[in-house]
Amino acid sequence: MKTHLAGLQKEYFNAIRVGWFLTVRQIRHAGKGTTSLIVFIMILTFLNLIVVSGLLVGLISGSFKQFREGYSGEVIITSEAGRSYIEDSPELISFLRSHPEVSAISPRYNISAQVLGTLNDLPDKGKRANRIGARLVGIDPLQEDTVTNFSRFIKYGEPLLPGDDGYILIGANLLKKYSSFADANIPGLEFLEDVDVGSRIEVSLTFKGGVVVKKDFIVKGIVKSKVDEISTRMFILDDELKRMLPVNQTQVQEIAVRTDYRNALALVSEIKLFMGDNSARTQTTDEAIPSFLRDIETTMSILGNALSSIALIVASITIFIVIFINAVTKRKYIGIMKGIGISPRAIQFSYILQALFYGVTGSLIGLFLTFVVLKPYFDAHPIDFPFSDGILVATAVGAAIRVGILLFVVLCAGYLPAKIIVRRNTLDAILGR
Amino acid sequence: MIRAEKLIKSYGKGELELRVLKALNLEITNGEFVAVMGPSGAGKSTLLYQLSLLDEPTSGEIYLDGGKTTHLNQAEKTSLRLHKMGYVFQDYALLPDLTAIDNVALPLLMQGMSKSVATDKAKIALTRVELVDKINNLPSQLSGGQQQRVSIARAIVHNPYIIFADEPTANLDSRNGQLVMEAFLDLNKDGQTIVMVTHEEEYARYARRIIHLKDGEILSDTRKK
Repeated sequence: MKTHLAGLQKEYFNAIRVGWFLTVRQIRHAGKGTTSLIVFIMILTFLNLIVVSGLLVGLISGSFKQFREGYSGEVIITSEAGRSYIEDSPELISFLRSHPEVSAISPRYNISAQVLGTLNDLPDKGKRANRIGARLVGIDPLQEDTVTNFSRFIKYGEPLLPGDDGYILIGANLLKKYSSFADANIPGLEFLEDVDVGSRIEVSLTFKGGVVVKKDFIVKGIVKSKVDEISTRMFILDDELKRMLPVNQTQVQEIAVRTDYRNALALVSEIKLFMGDNSARTQTTDEAIPSFLRDIETTMSILGNALSSIALIVASITIFIVIFINAVTKRKYIGIMKGIGISPRAIQFSYILQALFYGVTGSLIGLFLTFVVLKPYFDAHPIDFPFSDGILVATAVGAAIRVGILLFVVLCAGYLPAKIIVRRNTLDAILGR
Repeated sequence: MIRAEKLIKSYGKGELELRVLKALNLEITNGEFVAVMGPSGAGKSTLLYQLSLLDEPTSGEIYLDGGKTTHLNQAEKTSLRLHKMGYVFQDYALLPDLTAIDNVALPLLMQGMSKSVATDKAKIALTRVELVDKINNLPSQLSGGQQQRVSIARAIVHNPYIIFADEPTANLDSRNGQLVMEAFLDLNKDGQTIVMVTHEEEYARYARRIIHLKDGEILSDTRKK
């Protein structure tokens, strides 16, 4: 039994060796145009496998990335459900500032407000007032910049600076002039009209017991981002908002924390340990992302895989046809090889290796294009989708799996036609019958 | 020694049956140079295909070195052809993507020899047919006569038990035809068994034994003294 196995192993090894010998020479003497075309198809197939699904997933991942970079940081701490602030905020802020893994934090006040866009103008009869509800956020511009580089979201006007009392930044989606949804006519969605940089607006805050605090602000800038938490909010200095609060002036509603992505989970555990479970809702960015977005990401991934499967079928048919035509046109030579004693297995291996050559070359060039050209390009120049900046999501593991799938398909597509042709009668092949 | 016993080869069935070889008996001993002659349709090539195990007889038996061959499977026949037989085809049958030396070395590689040993032996075989200066040429870069000599080098490189040649001079001019026949003669002088099918009298004369076939039967079997 052992001898038989050793013999079989030797036979296979020799068949592969001879197959390789034939393959190298076939490829060397094959038409450069044909070889380039087949390799090109393999590259496109590989890119289709990895880039189509990568971009579809990247569409959502891009919005996750923007959410993290522009709003939440790696960890976001918010008020626990049913509470209006993070308990013991000052202690938590001190803890975070002294934590060695935390590179920056931005505590934010975040409160519900009403804003009146046209001061002194009473609405005409039958028309609604130029008033909307929105979240008013108090920030320290310098700290906010260290976490989210907030000033980059200023599309018109200027950013807030320390000492800018009486000035406000307004999210573009709150203004009819700048909102992406202004023409959508969505019921219930209202905008401020005739408000722009330099306009004077009135913000009113209503507290328990009917206490209303009103203050006028001059619009210093319009902020715009594909992150809703930026484009649908208003921003003033934290000290100014603090002064407008009748109680709990030191307790903030949000803290965005910048840390190493890999440390986020451990940091969340530490914060929970420090604060106790019920003091605040502490989440990593991934946890903070709504589950429906995760579902969309999964859907995109499935859709991408479905499209990739079609590309895979096209590639396998292409390889099958190429190898089949190659084998049919060389049927006589296959017959001669069998005639002089070359084993059918070695001949089959020569065609399989040829197919693998196309697959491996296509994959290698595809990998190069993906990780050296396309991914860095899309990271630097995301695709401007309406609701996110799409990036290309491609991981080493994902790419390795796709290379494996492509090579398996190519291997099968190379094996089948070779098997069909090699099985034909030797003499008929030699004589061309 | 190769022996055919009551060898029958037919094509078609029933009334359409065409019997190309009719219970033919033949024995070729080691070291013989046999020319098989006959008019078109006599069964010369069919006989060669049966003897060289490229085709299966309808009935009858072929013995190679005393052993039966008709019960062997395709893999065993392929292995026999690799180790015991050499082929020279009418149209040279060289592989177009392989250089002269690669064409000749291929059977040795299939036998399991290392590439360097196979290349060395191939070079010796090409030297023997006076083509050592063309070893890196592709078949398309060689003349018909040169291609046929490469084909002979491929047939002899593994020291086969017997060489089969099917109309080896048919596509050659007389000078190249003579060169090929002289190469066969040299090989035969060294003890190589050769079975050659030809319809040309002038080349058949090189052989020591001439078998005439007609309608699938041996008409005459003449040995030179």
